[in-house]
Amino acid sequence: MKFAHLADVHLGGWREPKLREVNVRSFCTVIDRCIATPVDFVLIAGDLFNTSLPSMDALKICVQKLKELKDHGIPVYLIPGSHDFSPSGKTMIDIIEHAGLAVNVAKGDVVDGKLKLRFTIDPKTGTKITGMFGKKGGLEKHYYYELLKEHLEAEPGPKIFLFHSPIAELKPEELAGMDAMPLSLLPAGFDYYAGGHVHVVQHARLKDYPNVVYPGPVFPNNFAEIEKLESGSFVLWNDGKITHEKIRLHPVVKIAVDAQHKTAAEVTSMLEDELAKHPFAQAIVLVRIGGVLSQGKPSDVNLGAFVDSCVQKGAHVVLKNTNKLESKEFEEIKVSTASVEDIEERLIMEHAGQLKLMPPDKEAALAKELIRVLSAEKDEGERIIDFEKRISQDVDKLLGL
Amino acid sequence: MTKGLIVSGQFGDILVREKAGKALELGELLIADTPQGKILLQVFDLVYGSQLGQQQLELLSGLKLEENIGLQFFDEAVRQYILARVKNLVTITDSKSRAAKTLPQCFSEIRDVTASDVSFLSTKHATPLFIGKLRSGSKVIDVPIYLDGHKALSHHVLIAGTTGRGKSVLMHTLLWHTLGEDYCGLLVLDPHDEYYGRNGPGLKDHPQSRERVAYYTPHPPAGGRSLKIDIKQLTPLHFRGVVEWSDPQLQALSAYHHEYRDAWIEAVIRQQPLKVSFNEATFAVIKRQLMQTLSLSLDGETVHCRGIFDTHAGQSTIDDMVKELERGHTVIIDTSEFSGAVEILIGSIIATEAFERRKRAIVDVKQAPVISIVLEEAPRVLGRDVLERGPNIFSTIAREGRKFKVGLTAITQLPSLIPRDILANMNTKIILGVELKPERQAIIESAAQDLSADERTIAALDKGEAIVTSNFLPFATPVKIPAFEETMKAFTKPARSFAGITP
Repeated sequence: MKFAHLADVHLGGWREPKLREVNVRSFCTVIDRCIATPVDFVLIAGDLFNTSLPSMDALKICVQKLKELKDHGIPVYLIPGSHDFSPSGKTMIDIIEHAGLAVNVAKGDVVDGKLKLRFTIDPKTGTKITGMFGKKGGLEKHYYYELLKEHLEAEPGPKIFLFHSPIAELKPEELAGMDAMPLSLLPAGFDYYAGGHVHVVQHARLKDYPNVVYPGPVFPNNFAEIEKLESGSFVLWNDGKITHEKIRLHPVVKIAVDAQHKTAAEVTSMLEDELAKHPFAQAIVLVRIGGVLSQGKPSDVNLGAFVDSCVQKGAHVVLKNTNKLESKEFEEIKVSTASVEDIEERLIMEHAGQLKLMPPDKEAALAKELIRVLSAEKDEGERIIDFEKRISQDVDKLLGL
Repeated sequence: MTKGLIVSGQFGDILVREKAGKALELGELLIADTPQGKILLQVFDLVYGSQLGQQQLELLSGLKLEENIGLQFFDEAVRQYILARVKNLVTITDSKSRAAKTLPQCFSEIRDVTASDVSFLSTKHATPLFIGKLRSGSKVIDVPIYLDGHKALSHHVLIAGTTGRGKSVLMHTLLWHTLGEDYCGLLVLDPHDEYYGRNGPGLKDHPQSRERVAYYTPHPPAGGRSLKIDIKQLTPLHFRGVVEWSDPQLQALSAYHHEYRDAWIEAVIRQQPLKVSFNEATFAVIKRQLMQTLSLSLDGETVHCRGIFDTHAGQSTIDDMVKELERGHTVIIDTSEFSGAVEILIGSIIATEAFERRKRAIVDVKQAPVISIVLEEAPRVLGRDVLERGPNIFSTIAREGRKFKVGLTAITQLPSLIPRDILANMNTKIILGVELKPERQAIIESAAQDLSADERTIAALDKGEAIVTSNFLPFATPVKIPAFEETMKAFTKPARSFAGITP
């Protein structure tokens, strides 16, 4: 049996048009390789699209490639991810399923307040596939707590579980702050756990969970991910042998400049020196500049000229990251800049007492509470009418009406 | 309802004649209404009283025993009675309490305490720590007792009691009630694997357990996390008080850490060279100790892990645990399968990390929740003999933790083993039944309130009955800890929706 496992395609992601296009091409490359191999089926472990209602362009290319798979007799089994899930069902994944281009395997019934998932059986290989979608904020965790696992675990294999969640035990150190669910929430004893959501390339072999696999994104999703992963990837399963396949459409050139205690002119000159050091043809160039300038402002560093030079040397696209580039002048301004709450507090205190309805401190406290109450956001699944009613009740309560 | 009449006595030791049939109990709370306010009293001793002399009483007993002559008194209730010794607790005026400084009039009537008399006790703080309901003798009064949890937990809590007197139920109750609170994060080292409720009721049944409990165990049930700690996360500091090191051994450990940074343990085990020279025996001992404590073995150049300490997995475990605590969540670590040293090592690692982050101001202490580390059999790390060998992170927290809002909740049946200065630093003590006199003495001598008259009351505490003495309570308060099942019943789990699942 051969299958491909991909996740986090994020079609329609990237604002930068050239990178959005590379993302689409990466997806197309994966599908072409699936057809060329050929695989028996394709798994997509969430976030095929960057939003539940993607742009026409993203949809068009996706439908086209899924149709090619279908024409070659390669079924696609998928789950919605945190980006393309919608509790109301208003998601393009639903349309794609109705068009017969893919099967959403997160299917089941509610039995006595518990969730009973069903298997989707791949007709060619007999593989039993099920899974759970991802939701924003890791809310899918609650579904796992109510999941009936006995029948899933008792079912003879081969079987695959698709999930779109970070697993606490597998988190790398750099993702320590990320909310994650314990591995024990997954049903045990599946031959393969096709993961998504965490953009890492990982294959863990654990007791009762022989192959928990994250393929990494089909194309990295942001500057830091390109820096770390350099390319997209997917996983190929070939009769039990697992390989991470890279999709390298463009070379990546990483340039890091330490601007600490240097002038803006010196940094510009350092960047010019870098031009001779790297092959730029067709490359995605990443420039990261950090540190506190001894003289001049970040805007004094002539990045524009550097980008032009890279493009002239054939670079496909140049991405800049100057988030940690500061100047001493900037630091001084930063000291006087307070948080939003501080600014709100200051403004409220400045204007308190104008209404003459209550003592200024009470008025200020009321204003702050009103801001808090009115900042509440609509809960997931909450109807607009209920949301309005809740806010209205909270305000009434606050004002003692 | 009148329970008796004040007869005589002095401040702190007032004699009350019991009204016939009212059966005053040790620890019972009583009220004397006076023009200055209500005076709250508590029985601390009971003795017989009689209008007959001792010789006559003995003679009458003899007649009954030897001659079988019936004992019938004329006006028996008047002549034979019980005397109670009571002490003043507080004076209550306008539902507020203040220290008692006056005596009620002689022949003042005393009566049962009611919930409205002590309404000042049920003030729910902004950071409530529920202990139980007010108890008068063995009767429960419907007044919930809350401590200011923020203060109580950061100033350390001692829970003392003999086995079977309700320490575990109390801890379940405390954990259950603090679970929903943002003001505190509790780290529980659970050597009996009882608090999460793997095989029975426990914190897993709390409506918010999914969001607010992180349960680490070597064999996780659904929802539990498998306990693995990457050895690269360990530093020599974590082993203080866990393994008994000599000075040269400590220096060798530090040298390895300095030279090999996070790969230091593997370097020790492979006996990689150091720039600083040490005796060969020192290397051999630290290697053996580390391999034994961490369940590691060496096959050629490869380090194998058999326990929870690992060379690959668990890179974020410690960080995750500390972050959960910083969010005000409860972290339970099932240590039931580990040796005492490993259990203490795990506690030491997390306590050190949590405390150091606060000390190094990585976390804004003002905004942060209190972190309380629950230690079962606390003398294992806070015992006099342990601390004589040098301080450890727990004794450091006991002395300095409150500044950084890191506290201890120490559970023990042998408080006398804990040095007096540490006991005195534990500003809240929850005393359950303690049978051994030296243990009662250790608590009484370090209590926040004067308990010198209460030794008998402490010895007589039944299962689930406790006395709470705290700097944050107006008097040593008798409480009844509710059965855990009762506590659970009061909470209902929200209904779950399964939106998004396709039928």
